[in-house]
Order: sequence, then C-alpha cells, then structure tokens
Amino acid sequence: MQKAFGKKSVIFMFVFPAFLIYTLFVVVCVIWAGYYSFFDWSGVGAKTFVGFKNYIDLLTADTVFRSTVWHTLIYTLINVAIQVFGGLLFAILLSRIKKGRVALQTLYYIPVVISSVAICQIFSKLLSVTPTGIVNQLLSMINPAFATMEWISNPNLSLYVTAFVEAYKYLGLYMVIFYAALIGVPGELSEAARIDGANVVQEYWNVRIPYIKPVIVANCLLVLNGSLRSFEFSYLLTHGGPGNASELMTTYMYKQAFSSMKYGYGSSVAIMIVIICMVVGFLFRKFTGGGEDE
Amino acid sequence: MKRKLVAAALAAAMTASLVLSGCGSEDSGSSESGSENGERTKITALLKGTESTEQYQVFNYLLSNFCDEKGLEYEIELVNDMQDYFTKLQMYINSNTLPDIFGCPNGTLSQACLDIDALVDVGAELERNGYADKLNGAIRDFLTDANDGNLYLFPQGLYCEYFMYRTDIFEEAGITEVPTTWSEFEDACEKIADIGEVPVVVGGSDAWQLMRYLSFAPWRVTGSDFITGYQDGTDSFSENEAAQFSVNLLADLGTKGYFEPGFASVDYTSACNLFFGGTGAIFYSGSGNIGLAEEMYDNGQLGFFPVPDVDGMDNISTNVPVHAGFAEGFNKATYDDTMQEFFDYMCENFSDACYTQAHIFSPFNEELPEGLPQLYYDTQPMFENAETAWTSWDDKLDSDVLTQIVDEQQKLAQGLTTPEEFISACDSFVAK
Repeated sequence: MQKAFGKKSVIFMFVFPAFLIYTLFVVVCVIWAGYYSFFDWSGVGAKTFVGFKNYIDLLTADTVFRSTVWHTLIYTLINVAIQVFGGLLFAILLSRIKKGRVALQTLYYIPVVISSVAICQIFSKLLSVTPTGIVNQLLSMINPAFATMEWISNPNLSLYVTAFVEAYKYLGLYMVIFYAALIGVPGELSEAARIDGANVVQEYWNVRIPYIKPVIVANCLLVLNGSLRSFEFSYLLTHGGPGNASELMTTYMYKQAFSSMKYGYGSSVAIMIVIICMVVGFLFRKFTGGGEDE
Repeated sequence: MKRKLVAAALAAAMTASLVLSGCGSEDSGSSESGSENGERTKITALLKGTESTEQYQVFNYLLSNFCDEKGLEYEIELVNDMQDYFTKLQMYINSNTLPDIFGCPNGTLSQACLDIDALVDVGAELERNGYADKLNGAIRDFLTDANDGNLYLFPQGLYCEYFMYRTDIFEEAGITEVPTTWSEFEDACEKIADIGEVPVVVGGSDAWQLMRYLSFAPWRVTGSDFITGYQDGTDSFSENEAAQFSVNLLADLGTKGYFEPGFASVDYTSACNLFFGGTGAIFYSGSGNIGLAEEMYDNGQLGFFPVPDVDGMDNISTNVPVHAGFAEGFNKATYDDTMQEFFDYMCENFSDACYTQAHIFSPFNEELPEGLPQLYYDTQPMFENAETAWTSWDDKLDSDVLTQIVDEQQKLAQGLTTPEEFISACDSFVAK
C-alpha cells in the first residue's frame, strides 16, 4: 500500500480529478472572463471588440472602482482582525474554561451553519430604524436619540456594519480551528514555561501562540481570500449602498455585468479582482514567510 | 518526456473543458417544450415572481384549466429576483430557446426578442379575436413598441397607482383637503411632522420607490417626452424644468425628514407592512395593495388621492399612473394552433383570473364583477378612460444609466449630494 502511494501514476490518478474540476470551473471561467473583457457586450446581441478600452476606463476614469478597491481592503482588514484575532481570543478563553465549554463552543459555532441570507435578515431586523430594532431600543435606554441611529443606511457606517456581520458569521469557525491547535500544544512546553516563572499571558505570548503560528498564518490567508471575494453580505444587507458607500469589488462587478448589462466591462472588473487577489495573496505569503518550508 | 506528458494532459484537460463549455452555448433554435413530432405535449412559461405573485396566479389558473381540457402538460419556471430573471431571460434569448410564454418588460429586452423575431404580434392577435377594442387605452399605450407602434406584449394586469393616506392623522394635523399640488403635499408633510408622525412611508431600498418621486413631475408635465429625450441625449435634467422640480422634491422630502427614519434600508414589503400596520400618514401605493388596504378603507381610516400637479406648469390630464405590470411575450417560434387556441382562451378568461385569483384589475374594460372590495369600485373611475400610460423609467432607461441613477437618487434623498450635484452627475451618464 505504502509502495503504491509512492508511485507517480497513483498520485496522478488521485490528483487528476480535482485538477480537472478546478480547470473546468476556475481556470476556464477566468480565461472566458478575460476573453469577454475585450468586448463591449450587453449580454444580448453582437459583441464589439474594444481591445483594452475596458481596462483603460476602469483604471483611469472609473472613480467608483477605485473606491471599491479601498472599501474591499478595509473590509478585509476588519474581517482579518475580527475573525482571526477575535477567533484566537475566543479560543484562548475557551481553552481556559472547563465547565460549559462544549455548550459555548457549539453556541459560537451556530452562525457558521446558518445561511448568509438568514444572517443578513436577522441583522437587518436587529439594526432596523423603522420599526425600531432591538439594538436601537437598547441604545435608546442610554440616550433616546439613539432610537433613530442609522446603521445599514448610514454611509459612514454601512461598510463597517457589513464587515462586522460577515466576521460575526465566521468567527466561530476560526475559533474552533484555533482551539484545536491550542489544545495540540504539548503540555511539557507550557509546564517548562511555568517552571521558568512565566505567568498565563507570558505563557500564551511566548509559547503557545508562537507554536501555532502556522495555523494563524493559514487562517489569515483563508480570511484574506474569503474577504477579498466577499459578495453576499454587502449585496444582501446594503446593496452596496447607500450610494456606493459599502460597494465592494465583487458587488460592483455584479452590478456592472448583470444590472448595467455591461458584460465586457464587468468581466474586466472580474479580471482585476483576480489580479488583486493574487497580488495580495503573494505579498502576504512573502511577508509571512510562506512557502519557505516547501 | 515527463514534461511532454504533463503538457499533453493539460492540453487535453483544457480542450475537454472548452468543448464541454462550448456545448452549452450552441443554438438549439427551439424551445424544449415546443412540439414533439409535430404534436404539442406541453406548454412552458417563464415568469418573474413566486407562487404568490399575480402573474403566476393568473397563468397557473389559465394554464391549468386549459391544459386539463386539452390533455396537455404545463410547466411554469419561476425566478423571483429581478436581476436573476433578466439574466435568465437573456440566456434564453441568446440561445434562442425561449419558452412558449415569458414575462418581459417593454424596453431593451423586448427589443432583444424582436431582434431575433421571437415575439408574436399580440396586437394583431387581439384584432383577430375581437379583444383589441376592449383593451384599456393607457395599457395599450404602456406596452406599445416605441419603434414600430405595434403591440408585442400582453399585459400582466391593470395597475393604477395613487397615494393612500390616514384620515385620522390628516385630521389631527388639521389637513382638511387632500393635496392637489406638490407644494400642498409638502405643506401637509410639514403639518404631519409637526404633530410627531411620519409624513411619508417609502421603501427606499427598492430603487423604484424613490424613482417614482423623481418621475412624477416630468411625467405630469411631459408624459414620456423627458425620459425618452434624456435617454436619447436630446434633453437633460439641467435643461428640463420639470426634471429639476422633481430633483428638488426628492431632496426636500428626504432631507427635511418627511420620509421615515432609515428609509434607505426599508424595502417595499416592509414599507407596506409599516403603513398598513399603522406607521406613517401617506404611502404611495395602488391597486396592487387593495387586499392590505381593504379593511382600513372600509373602516374609514384610509383615503386616497392621485399624483399632485406640478406647481406653475401645464400638467397632462391623467394624474393616476396606469401600467400593465411586467407583461408577457409569446414565443413566435412555438406559436402553433394550440398556442393560438390558448391565447383566445386566455383573453376570454383573463378578467376572471385577474379578479378571482390575483385580485388585480383586468386590462380589459369590462364591468367589474360584484362582491369585490369597495376600493375597486371607488378607484376605477380614476383610470377608466385614461389614454396616457405611466412612463416607467426602469423600462425606458438603459440598464447602465438606470443603475447609476439608482445610486445617485439614494444619495440625493439622504442629503449626501445636493440637487445641483445630482443634476450634473445624471447629465453626465448620457452622451449628448
């Protein structure tokens, strides 16, 4: 058996189906989008070849696209901060308690299994202004003016609210991953630290967290990847609005392609998303020393 | 050698995937429902909405009865989201595989269907079966093709829109007469706000709701001239007095706090629930909400008034927006004797389906049946003889321009841009 897995033909046999599916559903789609991006096409009727015009317009004249890139980066940072570092904090707290740990773990994980549509509906009701939602009702106990506080429809807050909602949904997922990593830290390392006089904070800061650094990096990459391509929360909660206040690159691409029916232009936005994702991913790997071990 | 093998495998994978994806885009040229060996077995329809929307209720009723009689099957494909629906319809148009009946607005998509010769001349069919004269004039106007003046779409129903108001709040605010001009409307809003009530409920997250306030003045003054001129580049917001009036009106209503707090995140369904649940004094509603308004109206808690006049300008006589809803097209490629028979059956029974199944007005000028809620009888005289249809900006504007205006109108209503900035932005969306 061991011998068979060492054979390249066997490895190829296992890898090929995944490779084929990936090629079909990712590579071909990207190539196809790249092809469309050189055309002016409404999705109906004839396509007109325009060369690099879509890209030139996108990079030189489209101020909304520029703002969506900025929004997406902010959105990603918030998500990394809450999902990865919030998840880590929750995992640490979880690893410190004995009673009710399983119940809490399950409770925090529930949003992960609820669909994004339902989560968005729940938050739109919680944050509703008319009729007054629970959040504003509670806040109005502190100051009655908070009863009409706008969250989703406030252009200064909508992006942060959207990012928070996505982060809330996936926080539990990363918490579970970190918890699994933390309980995998060998007990003798912590014991040695304690013998050397380390307190709890020092033990985590100098022993446990450095030990699980590869997991932190991998989670950062996963959140980074997910947030840069995030679509549903912005689309369902705010429609990218008010105006373009919470517009992300993905919702902008959707609007261009399917609302404005500019398939060519929308495809050029899609290609830019691919490029930006690759650049950000590459830079992240470079700064975190990813791939050194390979 | 190994490299060659890997390269060959890659090439094979790419070729296979291209071939496979290419297979899906081949034109098949006919609907899957169509005819099988010359004999039709099924009627297919693509409609926008859910099983509780009017278009489905009407067509499900008609198709079910007709197919039972004829021993046929029928299949209705439903797509609820507007964008998803348009995408699906485009896919069918591109591949020339449209179903027998499909929901289609009068505009870019109907033009795309005409470009591939996929629409039956409904006007000619109505002439043939004698229903042309019964069709409401405004409905015909709404669906008439802008290029050749023919009628290619069949109305979903007859929808009239008007403002509903709470009589108790009006009384409390000291408003004795319903507003007949926009300045009176704003005065009424001020009085209502002064007594601590929400003057106007609007579903600001649904684009069409705010867009109505942008459209009212140009429609009352120019009919469809402004919006078609704007789209063609021959008119602009900065040149048209009525358009400027509407921009200022929307900015006023939004920034003076006449809309409910957080209106930009309230959708139309929630707005309906708010108003008919007791929040707000005025709501732009219409015949589509008679079911919700019925009880309050019968109790004397609700009244209605048409779209006010634009102050200081000549207004068209029609002051109640009348439209045909989403409309339906019939696929010319599959329009055989059975489909013609269904068309005649549909015309004969359409009013019955409208009143008994969907609870909407029929597009045919026929006497209202007995036993309907009182609002039907009281509002019908407003549109009975209307000849000018509502001009829906959603249908007349290019998708790209429409999307941009939708973003801008929300900013305008929230006071994030000034009317001048809005006008300048909108005028830049269309090439002169």
